[in-house]
Amino acid sequence: MTLPTTIPLLGWSWNDLLFLVLGSVLIGTALMVVLGRNIIRSGLWLIFCFATLAGLYALLGNPLVAAAQVLVYMGAIAVLILFAIMLTQTKGGPAALVFHHQAWAAAIAAVVLGGLLAIVVSVSGWPLVGPFMATSTNLVAELIFGDYLLAFEIVGVLLLAAVIGGVYLAKRDDGPPEPEA
Amino acid sequence: MSQTLEAYLALSAILFAVGTFGFLARRNAIAMLMSIELMLNAVNLSIVAFGAFIPSLNGDAAVIALMVMAVAAAEATVGLAIVIAIYRNRRTPLVDEYHQMSE
Amino acid sequence: MGETLVTLLLVLPIAGFALTALVGRRLGTRAWVIAVPIVVVTWLAAMVVVYTSLSGGFGEEGLHFTHYEWIPAGDFRVPFSLAVDNLTAVLLIVVTTVGMLVHVYSIGYMAHDAGRWRFFAYLNLFMFSMLLLVLAANFLLLFAAWELVGLSSYLLIGFWYPRQSATIAAKKAFLVNRVGDVGMALGIMAVWTTVGTLQFDEVFTLLPEHFHAGEIAPWMMAGIALLLFCGAVGKSAQFPLHVWLPDAMEGPTPVSALIHAATMVNAGVYFVARANPIFSLAPEAMFVVAVIGIFTAILAASIALTQKDIKRVLAYSTLSQLGYMFAALGVGAYVAAIFHLMTHGFFKGLLFLGSGSVIHAVHEEQDMDKMGGLWRKIPITHATMLIGALAIAGIPPLSGFFSKDEVLGGIFEQGFYVIWIIGAFVAFLTAFYMFRLMGKTFYGPSHVDPAVEPKVHESSRWMTIPLILLAIPSIFLGMTLGLPFGSGLIDTWLEPIFEQAQENLGMAAPGAFEFLGIDGVLILASVALAAIGVAVAMRLFGFHWPLRRTDTAPQPERVAALTQRAPALYRASFNKWWFDDLNHVLFVVVGGRIANGLWWFDRAIVDGTVNGVGDVVQGAGRDLRKIQTGRVQNYALGIAFALIIVAVYFVLVVAS
Repeated sequence: MTLPTTIPLLGWSWNDLLFLVLGSVLIGTALMVVLGRNIIRSGLWLIFCFATLAGLYALLGNPLVAAAQVLVYMGAIAVLILFAIMLTQTKGGPAALVFHHQAWAAAIAAVVLGGLLAIVVSVSGWPLVGPFMATSTNLVAELIFGDYLLAFEIVGVLLLAAVIGGVYLAKRDDGPPEPEA
Repeated sequence: MSQTLEAYLALSAILFAVGTFGFLARRNAIAMLMSIELMLNAVNLSIVAFGAFIPSLNGDAAVIALMVMAVAAAEATVGLAIVIAIYRNRRTPLVDEYHQMSE
Repeated sequence: MGETLVTLLLVLPIAGFALTALVGRRLGTRAWVIAVPIVVVTWLAAMVVVYTSLSGGFGEEGLHFTHYEWIPAGDFRVPFSLAVDNLTAVLLIVVTTVGMLVHVYSIGYMAHDAGRWRFFAYLNLFMFSMLLLVLAANFLLLFAAWELVGLSSYLLIGFWYPRQSATIAAKKAFLVNRVGDVGMALGIMAVWTTVGTLQFDEVFTLLPEHFHAGEIAPWMMAGIALLLFCGAVGKSAQFPLHVWLPDAMEGPTPVSALIHAATMVNAGVYFVARANPIFSLAPEAMFVVAVIGIFTAILAASIALTQKDIKRVLAYSTLSQLGYMFAALGVGAYVAAIFHLMTHGFFKGLLFLGSGSVIHAVHEEQDMDKMGGLWRKIPITHATMLIGALAIAGIPPLSGFFSKDEVLGGIFEQGFYVIWIIGAFVAFLTAFYMFRLMGKTFYGPSHVDPAVEPKVHESSRWMTIPLILLAIPSIFLGMTLGLPFGSGLIDTWLEPIFEQAQENLGMAAPGAFEFLGIDGVLILASVALAAIGVAVAMRLFGFHWPLRRTDTAPQPERVAALTQRAPALYRASFNKWWFDDLNHVLFVVVGGRIANGLWWFDRAIVDGTVNGVGDVVQGAGRDLRKIQTGRVQNYALGIAFALIIVAVYFVLVVAS
């Protein structure tokens, strides 16, 4: 059986509903990340947030980016973060103060910034806006390995550098090498 | 109705604001990094939204988004490595204590 | 020839000063061997110059010459030029003669003083300064000499510097003089800005020219004259700058005689007389001069009535006589003023040296209450002082009578009757207090300290001979120069110099002397007043009649009774009309408070501001430093806020 074209009672399209749900979950989880007392919980909420984002990318007609989001962010970065959390835990735990003294100022700044951006975005006309267009993976592939080949290679090098740097920085310092017995 | 560019951009703005707050307000260094990731993701979302609604940017937006993701990954790696290194030295992940550069 | 002699007049004393200063100490008791002969030679040279000038040898304009360009500064050129005319010649007579006699006198007076070499050196320096003053041919050179004379006076008043009262008096003299000198300097500057030159001959022709051409306003002329007069007020100790002269008696008596009776204080009179072309173009200024002069005369005379120190009485007497001279100058009787200057120089010098002899005799006691009956013990001093007292009182035929009468006559002739009345009264007072001095010092019972009494003796010949030598002109000078009345030698000598001035003032040539007319009446009046004054003083204070060999005993009870009748006046007179106290309150107390206030202002406000700025900067730095927390998140918050502000600005202002 096929879905009705619009939601029965409200008369919205399904996309709208999806957007609403995903959007609110996104913001909600983001808030949980930021406001959470327990940092491990914050990390897990972060994963949830990334998942929601993947959904939004899909809604925007970009399955490639959605997949990449899941793989890279959820699969790698979030895990990395969780590792780091484990490695840097203190005995203090949740009893320690979560926020600075400047949290209130930060809140004001954030609210004002967000509001400003949102208002500006809504108010300004977007003359170049056209109808909704999904992105084909073929097109992306052609662009990456065509016009943007150099950028692609450089990003590869960048990742290499990051890996080496990360390994080196995080290595345990064993002190000067002991003389060979 | 909500499938408009403005809606996605507004959403991205709110996410960005949340990330900003987290960055400025949290004491734990890792939490700060998580907030940075949130901000980067917000930007990514807005890029992809532009790609969807502005025809001339269709393919390019996806490319940019992928690049951003890669860079974000690299940055997260290095940042966390640094935090771990500092943690080894100071035994605390709280940035309050990292004020060696003050008066 | 003339130029050489004149130059010698300057070179000799300054060489004497230098030599005595260098080797004087080693000469011990003979410290005078350099200074005194030099002054004698100077006197000889001066006499030659004077004779040449007065007999017309230098022509009508007198002798003028320049040694070199002293100040060549672009437009401002001042040569070192000297001039001798009859006015200078008359002054030279007084300065060199009295100066020489004072030098000789000092040999005896300072015989026991260890610092006598310094004394002679300073005396020579003074001679140089004074001679330069009367020989100078331009304002600036005269001003330089003016200051030098002030310096010499300071050095000599404070000669006994271990005594604090002496150093204070010296400072006071210099400072009060300085006050007058400010006005004088301004006057000289005004002259230069008006005519562009400071040479006397040029100024005295250019100024009248400019004035008559209408280029100089009358008030400007009067202003210049009054400013120049300020200097004279200071130097000649007229009111209100008279306060230094009595205190200057702290110096040794020869100093008082030379500087404060015969020479330095005359510098002011000389200066006003020299600048007569300027003054005669400003009758208002001349009136001021006359008023100040006569006021000083009566003020000083009133104070002299009650003073106890013998030298103070003479000091106030000098003030009073100087007042006469300025009164004469102020009404246009220039010749009379200079004539009185001459005679006064001699008899006042005599009186001072005589008082020095008295003080020496009673072993440095200066209080007249502790003297008395000295005529027997110091006959030469007594005789010469009596001559001096008669001269100053104006008893004919001594010199004072002639000069004082010319002064009073001149005043009357010009129609200043009020001034004449005051002047006549002053003559009465003068006679009175002089014979009070004589009575208390020489006559009556002796009140000398019993311990000292047996040792009272006449002074050495070094001191008595100058006294005798000074007594001669005191007797004869008036007769030789002042007769016939109104056309004597002095008039012949000096009238040409003041001709211009007489013209400017519109003064008719003095008519022939009418002995049986008004002039005779005036003479009788002044003689009568003098005689009455002398008589009253004799009755009250005692007298010894030399020929009749009888005594008039002093009547201290009558004196006391008279004093009781006017206690307020007595106190006012005794306290010098409280001028010193007034000055003290005005300048020391009030001035001190103002200075303290300004010091507070400087400390609190000026320094406070400067320090405050420093403190503000420091504080700002300290507080701004707190921004540097070292915490990244604080910095990030700052960035966030800045970002917001820029974005808002952009949205609202730029993009709308």
